[in-house]
Amino acid sequence: MAGPAPAAARDCPSCGAPVGPQDSFCESCGTELAPASVSSGEPGGATQCPACPSAQITADGYCESCGRKVPSGRDHQELDLGLLAGVTDRGLRHHRNEDAMALATADTEAGPVAVAVVCDGVSTSERPDEASLAAAQAAVRVLLTAVRTGEDLVEASSAAVSSAQDAVASLGARSRNAPSATFVSAVMTSDAVTLCWLGDSRAYWLADGPGPAAQLLTRDDSLAEEMVAAGLLAADEAMSSPNAHVVTRWIGADLGGSAPHVLTFEPPGPGVLLVCSDGLWNYLPEAAKLAERALPGALTDPLAAAGALVTFAIEAGGSDNITAVLAPFPPTRPAPAGPAATASS
Amino acid sequence: MSQPDFSVDVFQNEYIPEGGRDVNAVVTVTSPDTVAAAAAADLGAAEIIIIDCSGSMGGTDGSRTKMAEARSATAAAVDVIRDGVAFAVIAGTHKALPVFPGDGSLAVADPRTREAAKRAVANLRAGGGTAIGQWLRLAHQLFASYPAAGLRHAILLTDGKNEHETAAQLDAAIRLCDGAFSCDCRGVGVDWEVGELRRVSTALLGTVDIVPDPAGLADDFTAMMQTAMGKQVADVALRVWTPRQATVRFVKQVAPTVEDLTGRRVQSGPQAGDYPTGAWGASESRDYHVCVEVPPAAVGQEMLAGRVSLVISSPSGPQVLGQGLVRAIWTDDEALSTRINSQVAHYTGQAELAQVIQEGLEARKEGDEETATAKLGRAVALAQRSGNADTANLLAKVVDVVDAATGTVRLKKKVEDADEMALDTRSTKTVRTKK
Repeated sequence: MAGPAPAAARDCPSCGAPVGPQDSFCESCGTELAPASVSSGEPGGATQCPACPSAQITADGYCESCGRKVPSGRDHQELDLGLLAGVTDRGLRHHRNEDAMALATADTEAGPVAVAVVCDGVSTSERPDEASLAAAQAAVRVLLTAVRTGEDLVEASSAAVSSAQDAVASLGARSRNAPSATFVSAVMTSDAVTLCWLGDSRAYWLADGPGPAAQLLTRDDSLAEEMVAAGLLAADEAMSSPNAHVVTRWIGADLGGSAPHVLTFEPPGPGVLLVCSDGLWNYLPEAAKLAERALPGALTDPLAAAGALVTFAIEAGGSDNITAVLAPFPPTRPAPAGPAATASS
Repeated sequence: MSQPDFSVDVFQNEYIPEGGRDVNAVVTVTSPDTVAAAAAADLGAAEIIIIDCSGSMGGTDGSRTKMAEARSATAAAVDVIRDGVAFAVIAGTHKALPVFPGDGSLAVADPRTREAAKRAVANLRAGGGTAIGQWLRLAHQLFASYPAAGLRHAILLTDGKNEHETAAQLDAAIRLCDGAFSCDCRGVGVDWEVGELRRVSTALLGTVDIVPDPAGLADDFTAMMQTAMGKQVADVALRVWTPRQATVRFVKQVAPTVEDLTGRRVQSGPQAGDYPTGAWGASESRDYHVCVEVPPAAVGQEMLAGRVSLVISSPSGPQVLGQGLVRAIWTDDEALSTRINSQVAHYTGQAELAQVIQEGLEARKEGDEETATAKLGRAVALAQRSGNADTANLLAKVVDVVDAATGTVRLKKKVEDADEMALDTRSTKTVRTKK
């Protein structure tokens, strides 16, 4: 494998002062450089009702004429950070998108690093949309800081989960179904991917070409999985049972203190990491089939490939919110533009 | 003077199944906890006490005549009227005559005028017929002579049937007074018609009740006047906005009593209607059951099915004092759409309770024992299930309860008129559940 390409020199986007390639904050004005991107739906959703274009929209997002809620900013979002990209969509049957994703990149001495967090709000809990967003936002902060300061990534992942727990718990609970969400985080360096999860959102390794095949890297915290592990049911029976999607561990006040799963995966060669919610994998659980669909496109254009996976899930039924994040491995910044730099890999 | 802020809390299951159209919500409206005393005088309040002085009031029901008890009760109520509030007392027979002030105006309450009023009331004597419409018309005239009063309330007492005018004449008087003032009605003894007084109280946004023993009049009048003195804001309306193509199926007050406001709607905008709720005091809480029918939308769509706000008119225009949203979210998840909101279920039961009592008593009067037994049995079951002990006790005076849970009852052979009338007047009182 080639060594990491040197990060380009750049200027602060806020004040224009030159900043160092591995700076996290501008020394002149203090602006955070390359902050994380979160699927919060800001600056906001539709300002017009598709059915009543001339009607006013209330502050809560309802059409004053037909009463329909106008599409929210969170209904469909795409984040493209170059090193990785993600797409999240409400799907066809849910009234709002309760998935959230947070992506970040950093340039360290050892090379570029990609960070992804995907959270899926538990529908039967209160305010699941707020839970998933709060968890993803809190976790990506902790992970990005850890990457920039060179901390141990396994410890940082656990710390990110704790931070997400605190963020969700502070949403408060008005009933017995306190806000809850699943969680999966991935930190990808030039050598390895550190994964951390609670619940049934997943991470897959999608391989390219000959060599070790694509594989599911995480193991669901779900009733179906526990039944299979206990030898009570075969895998396909378990997945079609009514309890298949009952999540057994999550981020949320009522199950505080759940220790997350953490593992480090060293990819054997080039490929793509997929981090996704069950709105995608329910329609295509097998790693090999996902690899077939996403590769080779995802290696060079993760945004388009993520969009294609989401579209596939919508066309297959879209019965849940769908989130797909793709990060090619090894993380490689494009070479800086210049007379000597012509195309392609 | 700044307007108080009402809280509007909505209780509902917002999830409806694919193709569903009906959205039900219980809306709890609570007025703020501000000092009661000053406001009524600021807003300008007027009180009129209307006393039946027909011949039958000279009859004795206890140790003193009904007239004597009515005089004491009126004096007690006058003593509760706060300084600065305008007031008058009317004697009602087949005509209506001002008792105090004698010149057909309203007096402003102070120690001197209250004493003068009590002296005038002490001279009231029974003699004459009963034409309640005339009493209402005089009250209307008196209130109209004092436009400064924003809060206008009357107490009306009768002991007999409205024999000296037609139902049409009473209805015409009621229509005249609708919106002009509120009126709490009381019937003393058992010779009056619950239905007649209820027509007045329902239209004039007041209560109706029986006072079986005239000795109980003083306490009742005092309580009514104290409540009236506590009112701070007048002419409050419940405004319900719905989306285009939606229909309001009903708006009912369900606590503290059941009152169907559906027919009282006044259009207030292309998609909004106002329902009258009368005057409010401090920390008053009332519950409403709103049912809206909306055109079904696709699964996954969310819609605002209704917006409930409190509106009062002020010199600077209508002011909106609170707001609650009634939502609809279409889903294919049965676990969500089959959940029953406990408030909606409870009040649906309470409204049915009030209705079956009325139907049962009606059937009993008509001699239809089978229907009466079935309806009153259903009432017993509903009262027990909802924990409405007061109504259960009233029912137990009219039926023998064999099994409350299944609603198995037998009509009592002999029922005291007072008990039957108490059940009738209080059939609309509901209980609340925890939220």
